[in-house]
Amino acid sequence: MKSVVTTVVTAADAAGRFPSTSDLESVQGSLQRAAARLEAAEKLAANLDAVAQEAYNACIQKYSYLNNAGEANSTDTFKAKCLRDVKHYMRLINYCLVVGGTGPLDEWGIAGQREVYRALNLPTAPYVEALSFARNRGCAPRDMSAQALTEYNALLDYVINSLS
Amino acid sequence: MLDAFSRAVVNADASTKCIGGDELASLRSFVAEGNRRLDAVNAIASNASCMVSDAIAGMICENQGLIQAGGNCYPNRRMAACLRDGEIILRYVTYALLAGDASVLEDRCLNGLKETYTALGVPATSTIRAVQIMKAQAAAHIKDQPSESFAGNRLRKMGSPVVEDRCASIVAEASSYFDRVIAALS
Repeated sequence: MKSVVTTVVTAADAAGRFPSTSDLESVQGSLQRAAARLEAAEKLAANLDAVAQEAYNACIQKYSYLNNAGEANSTDTFKAKCLRDVKHYMRLINYCLVVGGTGPLDEWGIAGQREVYRALNLPTAPYVEALSFARNRGCAPRDMSAQALTEYNALLDYVINSLS
Repeated sequence: MLDAFSRAVVNADASTKCIGGDELASLRSFVAEGNRRLDAVNAIASNASCMVSDAIAGMICENQGLIQAGGNCYPNRRMAACLRDGEIILRYVTYALLAGDASVLEDRCLNGLKETYTALGVPATSTIRAVQIMKAQAAAHIKDQPSESFAGNRLRKMGSPVVEDRCASIVAEASSYFDRVIAALS
């Protein structure tokens, strides 16, 4: 799982040396930013269902054709699965905020994403719309502190880029 | 390889839960004690070669047969291999302490170590003794609390204590990684 600490340890191990002062400096840099990341993770975890529901509603409103018979949001089962997918991305963003890197998104969200959506014949534009809505919905200091919001938005941008 | 944060994530993912409340509290204390951890890693890394040679020397002092003809630290070539292995074990313990998780130690060092040593005829009791000495040294370096009774007239005080509890939690954590090495070898 890629994070600042594992990257530092992997590099030190490849060279066969003990952690150097500069290694420790980079870990300290990550720990200093951790407070904001953990705050964002906490706020997101507490409100994840509401955030995902709003994002889902926004994307279905924009792409209302998805409700037509035969489309991806046509039945109750499909609707539940669409909402679940948005929640899934939000949960992975929560994990990335905790880890302090994009490891969880890379390994569990983005790897194989294109192939799965192509095989299931799902459009990615609605996902982009849902996540973009969430990206522009967060507000500091109403939802979380400014630094925490920056970290949260950066990860949403990362997912949006992976889908577009 | 995992660290304390990704360990929490992997555990949460197993039950598709978000990380909130309780798990975050323990991670926050990890962050709050981050500087202690970095100082502890620095204390071990800065004294590594001294710690390793002292541990191996102590092991040999207690068992002189190791450096006599036929012993496992005779001739110099095998003594050098012994010192190298001591440093490798200490290095992976340091990585585990930095990461706050034993996975790097388990995956990259301890997995198959006992079998390798058995095949090479390296005596487990002597290896364990050297690791035990390194465990005591690591605790001493992290605590940085030299006393008259141990050091005698060579006592040097290296500055005032930063925290009153002498990083007791980090000492316990480092000792637990050395205990893993001992358990893997016995």
